[in-house]
Amino acid sequence: MTINWQLLMPELIIILTFIIVAIFDLFNSIQKTFTAWLTIVGCAIALYVSVDMLQTGTEGTEFSNMIQVDKYSLFFNVIFLVSTILVVLISMNYLGRTDRRQGEYYLLILLATLGMMLMASGNELIVVFLGLELMSLSLYVLAGYFQRSMASSEAGMKYLLLGAFASGFFLYGIALIYGGAGTTSIPKIASAITVNATSPLLLSGMFLLVVGFGFKVALVPFHQWAPDVYEGAPTSIAAFISAGPKAAGFAAFLRIFLEALQNIQSEWIVVVTILAALTMTVGNLVAIAQRNIKRMLAYSSIAHAGYVLVGLAAANKDGISSAMFYLLVYCIMNIGAFGAVILARTEDGESLMISDYAGLGFKKPLLALFMTLMLLSLAGFSPTAGFVGKFYIFRSAVESGQIWLVIIGAINTAISAFYYLRVVVAMYMREPEAELDFHPYPGLLIVALTLAAIGVVLIGILPSYFLSPAQISTFL
Amino acid sequence: MLLSAVIFLPLLGAILIALARHILGESGLKWIALIITLLTFAVSLSLYTGFNADTHEMQFKEERTWIEGLGISYHLGIDGISLWLVLLTTFLTPLCVLAAWNSIEKGASGFMISLLMLETAMLGVFCALDLFLFFVFWEVMLIPMYLLIGIWGGRRRIYATIKFVLYTMAGSALMLVGILYLYFQNDNSFDLMTLYGRTLSHQNLLFLAFFIAFAIKVPLFPFHTWLPDAHVEAPTVGSVILAGVLLKMGTYGIVRFCMPLFPEGVAAYTPLIVTLSVIGIIYGALVAMVQPDLKKLVAYSSVSHLGFVVLGLFALNHHGVQGGILQMINHGLSTGALFLLVGMIYERRHTRMIADFGGLSKQMPIFAVFFMIVTLSSIGLPGLNGFVGEFMILLGGFMSDSFSKVYAIIAATSVILAAVYMLWMFQRVMFGKLDNPKNQTLTDLSLREIVVLVPIVVFIVWIGVYPKPFLSRMEKSVDQVLKQSRSTAAVKAATPTIVLDTTTREAKKIDE
Repeated sequence: MTINWQLLMPELIIILTFIIVAIFDLFNSIQKTFTAWLTIVGCAIALYVSVDMLQTGTEGTEFSNMIQVDKYSLFFNVIFLVSTILVVLISMNYLGRTDRRQGEYYLLILLATLGMMLMASGNELIVVFLGLELMSLSLYVLAGYFQRSMASSEAGMKYLLLGAFASGFFLYGIALIYGGAGTTSIPKIASAITVNATSPLLLSGMFLLVVGFGFKVALVPFHQWAPDVYEGAPTSIAAFISAGPKAAGFAAFLRIFLEALQNIQSEWIVVVTILAALTMTVGNLVAIAQRNIKRMLAYSSIAHAGYVLVGLAAANKDGISSAMFYLLVYCIMNIGAFGAVILARTEDGESLMISDYAGLGFKKPLLALFMTLMLLSLAGFSPTAGFVGKFYIFRSAVESGQIWLVIIGAINTAISAFYYLRVVVAMYMREPEAELDFHPYPGLLIVALTLAAIGVVLIGILPSYFLSPAQISTFL
Repeated sequence: MLLSAVIFLPLLGAILIALARHILGESGLKWIALIITLLTFAVSLSLYTGFNADTHEMQFKEERTWIEGLGISYHLGIDGISLWLVLLTTFLTPLCVLAAWNSIEKGASGFMISLLMLETAMLGVFCALDLFLFFVFWEVMLIPMYLLIGIWGGRRRIYATIKFVLYTMAGSALMLVGILYLYFQNDNSFDLMTLYGRTLSHQNLLFLAFFIAFAIKVPLFPFHTWLPDAHVEAPTVGSVILAGVLLKMGTYGIVRFCMPLFPEGVAAYTPLIVTLSVIGIIYGALVAMVQPDLKKLVAYSSVSHLGFVVLGLFALNHHGVQGGILQMINHGLSTGALFLLVGMIYERRHTRMIADFGGLSKQMPIFAVFFMIVTLSSIGLPGLNGFVGEFMILLGGFMSDSFSKVYAIIAATSVILAAVYMLWMFQRVMFGKLDNPKNQTLTDLSLREIVVLVPIVVFIVWIGVYPKPFLSRMEKSVDQVLKQSRSTAAVKAATPTIVLDTTTREAKKIDE
């Protein structure tokens, strides 16, 4: 049997980068940031290859149908790699002050990225699970990366415990579905399940999968870990956890539910619709009460998972592509927002209270501008990318007749404007309460934020360049 | 390209100011803003000269694909209704720049950038013929207005600005759903022109989805509570733009979308809407009467005046609709001028309380003349613009077969109420003894302030004496809107009213 290595090029490049970074990490004499640059270069090459494969339409399956490389998985590769590059860029200055060697930080990020790519291309529940575990285990360590910080260690521990639970649910779900359908291969499950089959094994398996995914992408009521983990974890890692892994979770979620379980759609659509409505509403309402900006962004990212879930609840071709497009947009703007949080760093740590941002609009105009742009996009104001993304999601849901869900989503958008704008209010309209000394702008962070800002504005004004690929990359 | 040029010139100016603000210095960027807005006005005048009054078709059309995958196009055009709102916007903005010349203490560049971006968004709203494009401009307008009130506003500015944004967003959330629903009825396209030709389903619900968004913006009673707050806290220029143009986006939306697209909805909800607007007319006037704060008084008078506009529109006959649209322009001019005048004495005295003034006419004779003219225009004195609009609306109201004459009669009493609150206010501020020592040192209007006011007064008199150039250009478009909004409603409404009634017959004659 010959293996078509070409199909797996992006994954192989990431593995190769991993090995190179691991080797260079052994030398004490090299600069700390060198490993970071290696990571960026590796990801950039993988990104280029993925885009190229997406354009030429290289598709196929490998390893006895366990891995399915198609436009869908390649589009998600683009999301993951863009997120990873942005996260590494915002990490370099952030970690600069700690004295430890940073090789393992980037190694773990690379491993997590590899796990995400496996999740998107897994054509077999077991492979999806492997990818999920590869990703999650790396993230547990990363969340607790600041060993000396109590909060960070606590975040790592919490994430590990709850994440392990979720993995358990997920695995149990796979087992039950295997019991019901007799196979773990996604296409085979699809053909094994007849329309409206109500085997209790299948149904309970399906529910357990929902719970597992619900934990991983932080849907209400499985979201409690998210605010604590985001708050305690290093900010750059909070950005990472909120972006790529969430996209990866949805990549597998969409593929399993809309391909393998499409014949019992009528069973899960109700569940997903309710979860989407709950997630949006609770996420946004609780975010209003937050005083800490990292917790606020955590609840906001919960709410955003709800918007993406609307795409799944639409359960049509446009639903998938709108979720894909939205995840791309979401990753860019959310990492941008966390990057702006890192940028607002004072001499004695980060300013995490929203009240610390008072008066920044005139004191640090560039920082305030980045923050405002990202928050407006998260709130879905036109003409930013967030608006187009939400619009497309709502459109596909209306198409499939989910009018009520769209009304709830649209009202939620108005609610969310309140807390996003509160930060803007603090920055531009309030006088500073205490004199804080801010660090000078670190160069690489500005580069990352500029990239994110360009992305948000460009996708907002000319969405076609990213929307059309998303529209032709669905698996349905 | 003409419309694009008008819309995006201010944006270009905003970018220019943003890039060159350190080189220009404070006065330099004000000049840039003034030149850009004047240039925009000059270009928009060619819309007036090139406008063909003999057709209801959209003119100066531009169409090009924007987001192909979603059926969204960049589609612009104006008819005889939007023409006037575009001109009103381009006319008021340079005056606003001039009015803000000395009153902005911090961040003048940010102020001008916000103002210019706001102009682009407002013009876009009036020109967009694609629902998506319309919605984009409608939302873009929020951010600069939010900043204008929130940064340069008064003491309770943060409360006011958040309230303004949340009210608008809550309204537009439903409109967004409505737009999406229309999209699927329109063969996956957001094009308004193809939508006009269709008979839509679920018209009543769609009508509500759109109407609530517009009613909040107008604001129609009982959605008006954000307006007094926003007006009182906004800087002078913010109030002028808000009253002059932003509120018109609501009434414009009703004419452009609600009436022609959903005739069934119009038929179903006219009684409710007319009742609300009559309540708004009287309520606004009564509340205005007891306001101690000049700006609040003008704000509540706006609620009353815009109730008039909505009443005229839903009279669903030629006079009513035309009067309503003319009254939109009138209100933009006279209320805009009132806010400017209030701003001018506020800059001198830093108070807007009526009780703090008295006898100003002795100290500020030029100011008194302008204030008098504008006050009378707002009341609706014959010979000035307000009269023409209100008269046409009341005429339309009396002839209307969509609601009973009682509404028009009640609405007509507010003309008296308007005289009461406006003249009483004028008397307390301008006449009487000049006994407050702080008022005895007031200086009269500067040349800059006179330059701001004269153009508005010219139009106030012009429309009052010779409204024909204004009315003739909107004639065909108004007829078209009426034809569309009555296409099915007329059949239902006309059948039971065969009873010989001279006024309805006359109304029909005039309609034809």
